[in-house]
Amino acid sequence: MLLQNAIADALNNSEWAFPLAECLHIGGFAVGVGSIALVDLRMLNLGLRHETAARILRYTEPWTLIALVFVVFSGMALFLSQVNIYLINPIFPLKMYVLVAALIYNFTVHRKVAAMENPSPALSKSVAIVSVLLWVSIVFGGIFTGFLE
Amino acid sequence: MSIAHSLESIGFLSDFSESVLVYPIVLSTHLTCIALFGGMILMTNLRLLGLTFKSVTITEMVTSLRPWKRGGGVVMICAGILLAASEAEKYAPNYYFWTKMVTLGLIGVHGLVFRPLVYNNTEELDRSPVIPAKAKIAAILSLVLWTTMFTMGRLIAYYEP
Repeated sequence: MLLQNAIADALNNSEWAFPLAECLHIGGFAVGVGSIALVDLRMLNLGLRHETAARILRYTEPWTLIALVFVVFSGMALFLSQVNIYLINPIFPLKMYVLVAALIYNFTVHRKVAAMENPSPALSKSVAIVSVLLWVSIVFGGIFTGFLE
Repeated sequence: MSIAHSLESIGFLSDFSESVLVYPIVLSTHLTCIALFGGMILMTNLRLLGLTFKSVTITEMVTSLRPWKRGGGVVMICAGILLAASEAEKYAPNYYFWTKMVTLGLIGVHGLVFRPLVYNNTEELDRSPVIPAKAKIAAILSLVLWTTMFTMGRLIAYYEP
């Protein structure tokens, strides 16, 4: 509660804190989702064909992790600054369920299949498509949270 | 002002900004492009800086992602034009919006300057034992310009006349 009040005060009383948190949130998901999408692109065999998905996963994963930490923490700050509004929002809880699903999926199924040496193309492609759909729907969820109150 | 007013009064544009669903869908599409294709721009630049994707040649990185970046850019700009035109009167005095447009222009200049030196010259970059400074300068400028783009995009909502 104290923490919540402190964060809410900081974001609501300073002119630049709220937009800064929003920019970190957008920049974070651009890097996070964008880096996961590169692995998906390879799994769909649509780009970077000279390198394996496993290698691309290894290159992108540190960036994905750092970015997701930024997104989640800036998102928590934005949430705590206006808890009451988010709790009655019809879209926000949906976004959170999909987010939890996407995070679990990304670090279990997606990671495992991307790291496989010779996955069947059908498996790779379906895993990548589900990944893209999950992350894109979270972006849509974020915008719709703001529009449907 | 009157030009902006007549622009946003065009039938389909005013229907568009008044629609409960269409406006957020186009805005979400605009942001999805930032995530999907912004990630490609970022990773290409990190490759030019030698920070990641070291076993992938610069040529592969630039040429295999290029069609996706172009396609994504077209979708992003079309969505952006719809968003801005439908609320032209609100955007016309907004200096964050104009800063964003100037930045977009600078991204065009960046492309014109660095395409012959870097992005269309990747085989030379791959042959060089160290990544040449011009490639790193292009990458850093690109990162600065794109960061300015999405920051100004967000700040548009904070303009108070």
